[in-house]
Amino acid sequence: MTDPQEPKRSQTGATTSLTSDLEARIARANREREVAEQASLVPAKDMSGWNRGMRLGSEFVAAILVGAGIGYLLDLWLHTSPWLMLVMLMVGFAAGVLNVVRSANEMNKAVPPPTAAQRVPDDEEDE
Amino acid sequence: MADPNKVDPIHQFLITDVVPLGGGFSLTNSALFMVLTVAVIGLYLILSTQKRSLVPNRVQLVSEMLYEFVANMVSSSAGKAGMKFFPFVFSLFMFVLVANMFGMVPFFFAATSHIIITFALALLVFIVVIVYGFYKNGLKFLKLFVPSGVPGYVLPIVVPIEFVSFLSRPISLSVRLFANILAGHITLKVFAGFVVTLGGLGFLGWLGALLPLVMTIALTALEFLVAALQAYVFAVLTSMYINDAIHPSH
Repeated sequence: MTDPQEPKRSQTGATTSLTSDLEARIARANREREVAEQASLVPAKDMSGWNRGMRLGSEFVAAILVGAGIGYLLDLWLHTSPWLMLVMLMVGFAAGVLNVVRSANEMNKAVPPPTAAQRVPDDEEDE
Repeated sequence: MADPNKVDPIHQFLITDVVPLGGGFSLTNSALFMVLTVAVIGLYLILSTQKRSLVPNRVQLVSEMLYEFVANMVSSSAGKAGMKFFPFVFSLFMFVLVANMFGMVPFFFAATSHIIITFALALLVFIVVIVYGFYKNGLKFLKLFVPSGVPGYVLPIVVPIEFVSFLSRPISLSVRLFANILAGHITLKVFAGFVVTLGGLGFLGWLGALLPLVMTIALTALEFLVAALQAYVFAVLTSMYINDAIHPSH
């Protein structure tokens, strides 16, 4: 409100009353604040890229390790080395993919990916 | 450490005896910092909420915010029935958070940088989920391994996959926390070591040392973020797994 231009503008725009000008300015400020709030909210809800990567990666690797481990122990027990380990490695791989798909689904549910209409054209990403 | 000028990024994870207890047992630095973690959490929460003022002061507000944060997390991912496990999730969250933050203090030991600690926590979650799942649902808990709407002839393939996927949970839960803290601390130490090494090379070395110094400062901030984030992730996934124990069908 300490803007030096303010009084001059209200004098020249004699037809617009002071209150309607104020209302317009309040509406504009509200709109600007909403946009800013939404922009700041998205990275907070989104768990940050590093975290997403760590989560998906560890889910995938853990399933493979567990699958191969189970197969190895079964082989030791049944003396069928290395066949069960190979089979369980494949099963672990499938379980890893399942884990990744599930956690990606959960992430998408928590933070819906932007649709084509919402997406702001971004020059940096295209280059 | 024999040579104090040698940069050894792994040295910080060395377990040493602090108080020998006799009989081959002793209080190690890892155990000491876990005890300190629990003591700090307990003292803070008890002292800050002692007054129970209707209009909280700043200290009490932090406790209330932590409470509400975890309560919202549990109720949103495990529902109202999951609130039974709120004390469990809250304890885990606070322990991991404070232990991670302790690790960020110079000369303090990061207890969560050892996989045996994080694996013990993850195994605790895993056992709670299994025991409560069978207690609440009986044999219906096994429906967790049989997705609904799958034709019978695919089940021999799907059930082992679901089983392995279930068993991989404690591994991924513990490895994620441990790897984040371990990798973060090593990176920090390596870059800080560059500053020391370059600083010993005279004027040009001083100039060169500026780059890793800036990097170290940036990484310290990142590590604080990771420490808080990993505690959050640990707690969120715990409440999701508890949700599976309460409603064992996908």
